Amino acid sequence: MSPLMRTILGQVIAVAFALALGSIVILLIDESPIRVFSTLMRGAFGDVTRIAGTLLQTTPILITGVAACIALRGGMFNVGVEGQLFMGGFAAALVGFALPMPPGIHMLAGLIAAICAGAAWVAIPAWFRVRFNANEVVSTILSNYVAVLFTSYFTIFLFKRPGGWSETPPIASSAYLPELFDFSRLNWGLLIGLALAVGAAWYFRNTPGGYAISMTGSAPKFAEYGGVNIRKRGFWVLIASGAVGGLAGGVETLGVHHRFMEGFAPGFGFDGLIAALLANGSPIGTIATALFFGALRSGSLLLETDTSASREIITVIQAFIILSVSAQFLVRRRGDAQGGERRWKF
Amino acid sequence: MIGNFTKGLFASVALLATVASASAQDKVSVAAISGYFAQGFGVSIVNGLNKAKDEFGIDLKLVDTGNRALDYEEQFANLAKDKQYDLIFVMGWELVDALTKASAAYPDQRFVFIDGVLDSPNMIYANFAEEQGSYIAGALAGMIADKGSAFPKMGDGKAIGFVGGRDIPVIRNFLGGYEQGAKAAAPDVKVNSVFAGTFDDPAKGSELAMALYGQGTDIVYNVAGPTGEGVMQASAAADKYSIGVDIDMCGTAPGNVLGSMLKRGDVAVYTLIKDEVEGRKVTPGTRTFDLASGGVEFKVCDDIASEIPADVTAKVDELKKGVIDGSIKIDRAK
Repeated sequence: MSPLMRTILGQVIAVAFALALGSIVILLIDESPIRVFSTLMRGAFGDVTRIAGTLLQTTPILITGVAACIALRGGMFNVGVEGQLFMGGFAAALVGFALPMPPGIHMLAGLIAAICAGAAWVAIPAWFRVRFNANEVVSTILSNYVAVLFTSYFTIFLFKRPGGWSETPPIASSAYLPELFDFSRLNWGLLIGLALAVGAAWYFRNTPGGYAISMTGSAPKFAEYGGVNIRKRGFWVLIASGAVGGLAGGVETLGVHHRFMEGFAPGFGFDGLIAALLANGSPIGTIATALFFGALRSGSLLLETDTSASREIITVIQAFIILSVSAQFLVRRRGDAQGGERRWKF
Repeated sequence: MIGNFTKGLFASVALLATVASASAQDKVSVAAISGYFAQGFGVSIVNGLNKAKDEFGIDLKLVDTGNRALDYEEQFANLAKDKQYDLIFVMGWELVDALTKASAAYPDQRFVFIDGVLDSPNMIYANFAEEQGSYIAGALAGMIADKGSAFPKMGDGKAIGFVGGRDIPVIRNFLGGYEQGAKAAAPDVKVNSVFAGTFDDPAKGSELAMALYGQGTDIVYNVAGPTGEGVMQASAAADKYSIGVDIDMCGTAPGNVLGSMLKRGDVAVYTLIKDEVEGRKVTPGTRTFDLASGGVEFKVCDDIASEIPADVTAKVDELKKGVIDGSIKIDRAK
């Protein structure tokens, strides 16, 4: 069996195992798994509006997933995508409501601000990583809390729209990401996500820089021997990952919410990381896994209104997926230890 | 365990069989959507809904919004799409944007926005005269602060405090009533107010209350949801006084809670559903639940009641009467 087939088969088995465990939980709450899964399907793909809704939910997971992929490729865990998303979203909103600009340019400026904010936010953990060899998992996780509170503070105390909820004033329509259809909030963000995934895959496959990154991640000693400055490379990998994470926030702000709301999107960064891990760090694979999670999320909204099962059942299924995927990693790593294979396989 | 499995399987077969024939608009069907069903005011709403369900046998669906703003619009659309629900109760200011869109997309659907009034003429607003209950709270706290150290645990700072959750119109309205009540009953007493900026941070509530107590503000009114739990705890830790909100909080710090400003979400939803069930169709417009109708009330804690001097109690009762008969007008916060 080819390695790709084996990988895909492994993930499918992991997901099937998780769904089976999920079914048991559903039975335990006296609901029918058949009804739950058929409602999920209907909620996710029942008609064009629902498909658009699924793609809308997929977009942030896809972009944060690509961000996580970039880091994984370079042998890094960027667990701070969540915080980069918040910073990016806030920066885009700031440009959107505070700086009047002509249409088009305004949108671009907002997205660039989001990219810069995300990159800047990861720069500190990235620098700590290369300078002091500080574990980036810990420092990026910690930076999440700071980002969420930081944006909350600025939203509530400096830029709050008078009256109403804790949110910034609405952004100017010149900064909106155009919507794709008139029946959904689905917007150019999806196209940006797809382009990023394809672009990243192409870069890793076809360019010397991409090869150097893959080698830095999978065989650092070999990369170093081959003349790659792995510290510098690692730094820029994290920066690129953070930039994409920031962009995810910008896309949500400019494409969907048209303002920054305090605490508006908890968990997307982690969803993206899970999608990337499930895709084994492949940007193209992340398109599929992000769609899978987007469909689960979107379907779960109908699940809640049309059955007696809580939407949280989706969180349970997701957790089972994480468990079975990480179990798979463990099995593979044990195999690696025996067979002398490398740690990450892409 | 096995019983549950088979029961689930049977239920699934039965459901699949009946799902096609689901119909019957003969009984009132109600949905409620919010992210706060597990806390203070939300619990009170759920109690009212369940009471109505038990008494009138209505269909009831509760939907928890979670906390992702991306989901709200679809959740509203899913509830409104089949015209299945006569009334959809909505609570939470973060839902206003999605609610406004849903109300425009489904103009025949009757939405009841709890706890505020919005611009749209299509909705029903269950509005609470929280300024009236807060007025009584302010008057009582003000008079006690005016007595100073003659009252147990009080200092002579002649100041009362307020910890708000977020700085949103409804919380401003609480503060406005509290200030006016204090001013009317005890003009010399100052009101020190702070906003935590969040409803979800008890540690912050505690910190802010401690700061107020440290400044000689010996009574603090908490209008801050779970953040306010910290205020109540701080009053016990500092052995000063606090005033609870939404539900009866006397038990959270016995001996340190003066009373609670009850906001009877249960009364509001129950009253509206009762009207609907009894054929008085609820129509768009504002329904105010106030001191007179029992929608808000100020409840003095039993363990404190005996310590409150008779002249204070008399004055509070007099003000209460004035508010109910309309001779005392309280400004609402804009």
